Amino acid sequence: MDGDIVSRKRELVKEFSPMLGKSSPFSKIWIGFLIVVILVGLVAFVLQVIKGHEITGMRDNVVWGIYIINFIFFVCLSYSGAFISGILHFFKTPWKNSVSRIVEIITVLSLIVGPIFILLCIGRLDRLHYLFIYPRIQSPITWDIIAILTDLIGCFIYLYLTFIPDFAMLRDNSEDAPSWRQKLYKTLAIGYQDTLTQRETLHKITRTMSAMIIVLAIVAYTVLAWIFSLTLQPGWNSTIFAPYFIVAGLYSGVGVIIISMFLIRKYFKLDHYIRKIHFIGAGIVLLVISLLFGYFTFSEYFSRWFSHKIQDTNLLNTLFNKYFWEFILANYIGVLVPIVILFFKKFRTIKSITFAAVIAVLGLWLNRYLIVVPTLETPYLPIQDTRPEFIHYSATWIEWALSFAGIAAFVLFFILIMKLVPIIPMSGIIDYEREQKRHHKPLIQNQKK
Amino acid sequence: MAGIKPKNNSSNRRKFLKLGLMSSVTAVTGASLLANLASEEELKSSGEKIKLLTPDGKIVEVDADNINKYPEAHITPAESRKGIPNRKFVMVIDLARCKNARNCVESCQKAHNLDYHEEFMKIQLIQDNEEASPYWFPKPCFHCDEPPCVTVCPTGATFKRDDGIVLIDNDRCIGCKFCITSCPYSARQFNWGHKDKFDRTDQPYSPETSVPAAEGTVMKCDFCPDLLRQGKLPHCAKACPMGVIYFGDKNEDIVTNGEETVRFSELIKDRAGYRHLEHLGTKPNVYYLPAVNRQFPLERGFDVDEDILERYKDVPEVQDFKNQNKTKS
Amino acid sequence: MKTTFFRCSIFILLFGLLFNTNGIAQENDLSKYRMRFNLKTIKQHDNSRILEANFIAANKKDRKDRIPVYDTEIEFFNVLDDDEVLIGSSKTDKEGKANITVPENHTYLTDGAGNINLVARFKGTDALDEEEEELSVKNLYLDMNLTEIDSVRSVVVNAYVLDSLGAKSPVEGTDILISVEGMLSKMPIGDGTIEDGEFILEMPVDIPGDVNGDLTVYSIIEDHDEYGDVIQKKTANWGIINGQSKKDTNTLWSEAAPIWMYMVLTILLVGVWANYLYTINNLFKIRKEGKQLEMDT
Repeated sequence: MDGDIVSRKRELVKEFSPMLGKSSPFSKIWIGFLIVVILVGLVAFVLQVIKGHEITGMRDNVVWGIYIINFIFFVCLSYSGAFISGILHFFKTPWKNSVSRIVEIITVLSLIVGPIFILLCIGRLDRLHYLFIYPRIQSPITWDIIAILTDLIGCFIYLYLTFIPDFAMLRDNSEDAPSWRQKLYKTLAIGYQDTLTQRETLHKITRTMSAMIIVLAIVAYTVLAWIFSLTLQPGWNSTIFAPYFIVAGLYSGVGVIIISMFLIRKYFKLDHYIRKIHFIGAGIVLLVISLLFGYFTFSEYFSRWFSHKIQDTNLLNTLFNKYFWEFILANYIGVLVPIVILFFKKFRTIKSITFAAVIAVLGLWLNRYLIVVPTLETPYLPIQDTRPEFIHYSATWIEWALSFAGIAAFVLFFILIMKLVPIIPMSGIIDYEREQKRHHKPLIQNQKK
Repeated sequence: MAGIKPKNNSSNRRKFLKLGLMSSVTAVTGASLLANLASEEELKSSGEKIKLLTPDGKIVEVDADNINKYPEAHITPAESRKGIPNRKFVMVIDLARCKNARNCVESCQKAHNLDYHEEFMKIQLIQDNEEASPYWFPKPCFHCDEPPCVTVCPTGATFKRDDGIVLIDNDRCIGCKFCITSCPYSARQFNWGHKDKFDRTDQPYSPETSVPAAEGTVMKCDFCPDLLRQGKLPHCAKACPMGVIYFGDKNEDIVTNGEETVRFSELIKDRAGYRHLEHLGTKPNVYYLPAVNRQFPLERGFDVDEDILERYKDVPEVQDFKNQNKTKS
Repeated sequence: MKTTFFRCSIFILLFGLLFNTNGIAQENDLSKYRMRFNLKTIKQHDNSRILEANFIAANKKDRKDRIPVYDTEIEFFNVLDDDEVLIGSSKTDKEGKANITVPENHTYLTDGAGNINLVARFKGTDALDEEEEELSVKNLYLDMNLTEIDSVRSVVVNAYVLDSLGAKSPVEGTDILISVEGMLSKMPIGDGTIEDGEFILEMPVDIPGDVNGDLTVYSIIEDHDEYGDVIQKKTANWGIINGQSKKDTNTLWSEAAPIWMYMVLTILLVGVWANYLYTINNLFKIRKEGKQLEMDT
C-alpha cells in the first residue's frame, strides 16, 4: 500500500515538474511584457511622489478615484476567493481539488496588490506609521487596516498549509532539480513525512483555518463596505451596502476564477484535471450570484428612484446623464449577458462561460466606479466652481498606468508562484485516490468473499 | 627733468582720483544692491506690510506686527488640542444682509496665505425652491458638535476641542481624505501638490493659525483661535462691511459683528435662526438668519469678477443677468 | 579714455542707484495729504486719566488712504493762562497713536470755571509742520454700584464734579451707556441720561455671565464736550451660572472610543489570533515529528 503511494507520488511529480521549470520563449516574452508594464507603473509612481497628487485626476470634490476603486476591486477578489476556498474545503466539496489552489492563490495575491493601491491614494506616505502609533478605533479605516492585516496573515497561513504536502512530495522526488530548489523544498516542507498523525494534524488545522477564513472574509469585506455606508453621503449611506458588497465581491471573484481556470488549462494543457464539469459548476455558481447581484443592484437604485428624495434624484441624474453608457454596461449588460449565457444548458460551453466571466468582471469594475465617483460629484451643497477638473473626475495616465501595473503585478506573481508549486495540488490527488481505495477496498473484500 | 615732474604729479593725482571714483562707485552700487537683496529677503519672509510716515517726512513700508503675536503666543500642536477654557464658540450669519461683497473670503485668504481659488469661507448661491429668490450663502466650516469628519479620522489628526472648535493638525494628517468625503457640507480642502508658500519659516506651524499648510494634508476654516485668544474677532467677521457675520461665546450668550453686540439666544429666537441641513444630525455651530427683508437686491452681488460669476451659472437669475449683459454689449 | 571712463562710472552709478528702488524712489510727495492731529481724554475706572493723541496723514482725495505718523514725539501739557506744565510725552506707535496715563493723584491746574486745559503738541521737523491741539475737560467723578433696590437688581450711577470749594456738584443731561462685558466686546443693556447726578437702570436677570457667574458691568460716557470719555466698571456675581455643558467622552468623535468598541475589537482579535497561534503551534508539532522520524531512520 505504502509503496503504491510512494510510486504514485513519484509519478505525479514527474507529471507536474515540467510545469515548474517550463520557460518557453512565449512565456519569456509574456513575463518581459509584464515587467515593462510594471516598470511604467513604477515611473508613474515616482512621478506622483515627486510632483504630488496634482498629477492625478483627483481634486477637491472627487478626492477618491481609480486607486480606491482598484483597491475595492482587488480586495473583493480576495475576499470572495477566501470565501469560496473556505467553503470548498470545509464542506469537502467533490471536484474541489483542481481549482482550490487557483482560488487560494488569487486570494493571497489580490490581498497583496489591493492595499498597494490604497497606499497610492494616501497624501503623506512618509507618515504611514502614524496609523499604528496613533490609531483611532472609531474610524472605519482603522477597522479596515486591522481586518486586512489579519486576513492577509490568515490567508497566507492557510495557503502555506495547503502547500506543505506538495513541498514534501517535491522534496522527496526532485533529484534532478537544481540544488537551491531542493533546499527550498526541504525547508518549506518542515519535515512533513505524510505519517498518519501528521496528516491528521494538518487536516485538522486546515479545516479550522478554512472555517475561520470564511468568517474573516465576510467580516473584513463588511468593514470595507462600511467605509462608504457609514458616511452621510447620498448614494453611500445605504443599509444593505455590506451584503451588497459581499455579493458583488463573489460575482467578480468567481469571474476571475473562471478566467484563470480557462487560461491555466489552456496554457498548461491540463484538460484532464480542469474539466468541463468544473466550468459548469463555476458557471452555475456565477449564475446564482449574478441573479443575486442583479437583485441587490436593482433594489438599491429602484428604492432611490421611487422615493425620489432630492439628493437621490440629483445622484440619479448624474448617473443617467453623465454616466449613461457606463451604467448600462455595468448594471444591465454586466448582469444580463452572463445570466442569459449561463441559464440555458446549450449555451454552456467552456468558451462561453469564460466569456460570461469576462463580462461579469468588467461590469463589476464599472459598477465600483459608479458607486464611488458619482456620489462625490453630487454633494449636498452644489459644487459651484469653474474649474472643470473640480467638477468632473477624469483619471490621468498616471492612474491608468498604475492600475495596469497592478494587474500586471498580480499576473506576474501568479506565474512565479506557479513555478514554485504545481497549480493542481498533488497531495489533493493522492488524498482523493486514497479515499477512493478506502471505499473500494471493502467492496473488493466482499466480492472476494 | 622739469618737464617730466609735473607730468608725474598730475598722473599720480589722476590715478588717485580714478581710484577714488572707482571705489565710491562700487561702494554705492554694492550698497544699493545689497540693500535691495536684503529688503527682498525681508519681503520673502514677512507677511503683511503697512505704510507709515516717519518724522522726517518719508513714507515707508514696514512689516505689520505679527498678528499672531509670535513667538510669545505660539500654541504648539499638542497644546492646541485643549481649547480656550470655558468657551463654546458659535457664529451667526445674517443672510438678509449678505450682498456677496466677498470681503470675508478675501481677508480670510490673506490671513491664512491662501491662493486665489482656495477658500476657507465659500459663498454659494442657494435657491431653496423654485418660487424662492436665491440668496448668497457664506459657508465656513460649521465646527459641528457631532462632527462626522472627526469620527472617521484614522490618526486623530482632526479633533474637536472643549471650546467647540474643530482643528486639523497638519503634522499628524496622513492625507487619506476620508474626512473630506465624510463632511456633508464640503467644508474641507486638500493640498494636492507642493507650493512654495509651504516652505515659509518666519513662524512655526500651529493648528490654530493653519499656516504654513503642508502638502498632502487637509485644511479648512479654523475660527481663527489665534485671534480669539487676543480677544479679537475672526478675520471674516471683522472684514464684513455689512456686519453679516456675528461671532461669540454661547456660554456667555453674547455675539458681536464688530459693531453690534447682542444676546445670542435672543437673536436666534427673534430672527428664527436655523442650522443648515439640521436633519443630518451633525449639530453645527453656525446658525443662519433667514433671508427675509433683504437689504440688497440679488443683482448687487453680481458685481464680481467674470470667473467668479461663472460659478453660479446654474442659477436661472444669473443666466438672465448674463443674457441681459450680452444683449446690451 | 578719460571721458569713456567717466561715462562708464556714472552709468554704473546711476544703474546701481536705479536698482535701489527701495531706498530712494519713495514718495516724499506729502502735498496730497492733509495732516490730522487730534487729542482726546479718557477717564478710567480707577480714576486715572489717559491722554491720547492721534496723528495721521489723510489723503485729500482718497478717504481710505490714511497713513499713520510713526515714531514722532508728542508732548502733553496742562496749561493755565500762560503757564504750561509738561505732564508727560510719548512717541506715536504704528497706528499713529501716542498716549500717557496720568495717575489719580496728579493735581491739575484748573481755571476759574473748573476746567482742566490740556494741550498736545508735536514740535515739528524739517519735513512736517508743528501741530497742536487743545482740549478743555472737567473732572467728572463717576460712581457705580450694583445693588438690589426693593429686591430688583439695579445699576446705580452717580456722577458729580467737585466745585471750587471741593463740594460735590451733581451733573445734568449727560448721556450714559450701560453695558455688560463679553469676551470680544461689550453688550449694551441700557442707556439714558444722568439727571440730577443719578441714573438707575434695572438689570436684566437672565444674563449668564462668566463661568463663575460673575458679571462685569460698564457705565460709559462717550465723547462728551465737557467730560471727554469716562469709563466705570464693577463686577457682581449676578450671572446665572450656565452649568458647564456635559463634556462628551467616549463618543464617536472624542479621543476615547465608546467602551463597547474596545470590548468587541478585543474579543474578535483575540479569537482570531488565538486560532492562528493554535495553527502555528500544530505546525511546530508536525515539524518535531518529522525531525524525530528523520533521526530514527
